[in-house]
Amino acid sequence: MLKKIIYLFFFLSVGTPLFASTEDGAKLIEYWYIVLPFVVLLLMIATGPLFYHHFWERHYPKVAIALGSVTVLFYLIVLHDTHSLVHTLAEYLSFIALLSSLFVASGGILIKVDRKATPALNVLILLFGSVISNVIGTTGASMLLIRPFIKINKDRIKPYHIVFFIFSVSNIGGALTPIGDPPLFLGFLRGVEFFWVVQHVWYIWAPTLLVVLGIFFVIDSLNKLGSNSENEYTGKIQFKGLKNIWFLVIIIISVFLDPGVVSWIPSLSPMPFGIREIIMFSVVYFSYKKADQEALRGNEFDFEPIREVAYLFAGLFATMIPALQLIAYEANIFGDELDAGLFFWATGSLSAFLDNAPTYLNFLSAEMGKFAMDVNDKSEVLLFEIEHPIYLQAISVAAVFFGAMSYIGNAPNFMVKSISERAGIQMPSFFGFMVKYSIPILLPIFILIWWIFFYGNG
Amino acid sequence: MRTIDEVLKSKINGMHYGNRLLLPFCAEILKVSIEDDLIMDFSTEQDDAEYNINDEFTEIYFHKYKSLEEVVTKYEVIKMIVVESGSDLFNFNDHRKVSIDILPNHIAEIKEIEDDQIFID
Repeated sequence: MLKKIIYLFFFLSVGTPLFASTEDGAKLIEYWYIVLPFVVLLLMIATGPLFYHHFWERHYPKVAIALGSVTVLFYLIVLHDTHSLVHTLAEYLSFIALLSSLFVASGGILIKVDRKATPALNVLILLFGSVISNVIGTTGASMLLIRPFIKINKDRIKPYHIVFFIFSVSNIGGALTPIGDPPLFLGFLRGVEFFWVVQHVWYIWAPTLLVVLGIFFVIDSLNKLGSNSENEYTGKIQFKGLKNIWFLVIIIISVFLDPGVVSWIPSLSPMPFGIREIIMFSVVYFSYKKADQEALRGNEFDFEPIREVAYLFAGLFATMIPALQLIAYEANIFGDELDAGLFFWATGSLSAFLDNAPTYLNFLSAEMGKFAMDVNDKSEVLLFEIEHPIYLQAISVAAVFFGAMSYIGNAPNFMVKSISERAGIQMPSFFGFMVKYSIPILLPIFILIWWIFFYGNG
Repeated sequence: MRTIDEVLKSKINGMHYGNRLLLPFCAEILKVSIEDDLIMDFSTEQDDAEYNINDEFTEIYFHKYKSLEEVVTKYEVIKMIVVESGSDLFNFNDHRKVSIDILPNHIAEIKEIEDDQIFID
């Protein structure tokens, strides 16, 4: 077991091609070092904000684009492969269209709650946020709810409030639909059916969330801060910028507007985008232009978080092309030795520290390679989800859930931390978050999930 | 010397030049939120920010940034908890929460923190 894990980690951390099976992969074997830009970028994303943040804040766009360009030029000049590049560009545009439209549309809605916080009300808010994160994404739900959550708890707020918000709303909650979390959306773009996730993950999602919120309830019940507060509350809940809900509805409907899903939707091929992306980018423009200024101000709206995601993922999408192809190529070799439990831990461990979206895609590629299937072929992805659901289930759950293990596991984690600090809350450090919260609380739960659902399976 | 109340009531603006913020009142600064930074350590061992209380004004240097105008965008503000010079620093009722809008032409608009803009003491 340990040996197998080491093989998997070795590949993703050093870049040595352990997996191979497709033609593209075979060609890449002699150029294995072309995965180095991907490894370097992932490591810099993980370490930049922590150890050299002044440099990182200023130069991350240049770093991401430069590393991405190395891979693009390699494919153009050495491999003469434009197909992989155009395919990846189309996937990137779909990805960033969804994220940016959800980000901007939800950033224009302000919720004001004037109620006294109680542990039960807090649990209800976290549960509500977890559910709606499947409709407006973990990013959208986090943006929408973090401020009202802080506000109602202003007399008794402690860092654990924010930490459990990150656990539930920003991560675990969004495991039920492809809109919920970026890795699942990448799976959807590759051919995983939209409702496959909810059908196969809900019975892991529900007890996990129940346990996390149960722990939160106990901790919150022990918090007596603010119990003598003389503040008076009207009990009112007010909304500003509600018209943006219509933009959210348009985004959700447009997710399905794919020629592969709805036959009458025209394909704009050879353009690397479709009707769906045009609609989503239009929503970005109009939802910002028409947004309620007071709501934007109340949310302290800033394009920087989505700008960061756009640049970093441009680099990630480009640099991970050879990694995906190499993984698919050599998964056959170790195929018999890799079970669903192993994929659960490998995907989870990397998702905790690296970005969970490319991690999911890498391991989907590896799993399919084990069965001599190609992640770039939608019909094979469809076949894979039917014939080997336990594998897809393992990486879907792990990629989303483990994103809560650290601040860098999922994009909304840092956004929530940043908003909380802007609200004056001193958040735990990177390691403090893990040592005090995610390792003692989440890790035992994840071990249980593995033991119940994946141990010895596949 | 102007009081904070006078500044807020008369809508007297502060100023910003590059990374220097000038507030038209004298106050101890306890906590500042700017961009993604929550600054509470103004000691010389940290290079994030420092402040000086002069006879008529308080100045803050945000060493991390070159220009406040570039950093603080249209919908963002600098938030701070200040205690007017002469007031009781240890009385939480004397802690004032103010927000600073960074506007063009070196204008720093000072307001009491609104209800929507959460800032925990």
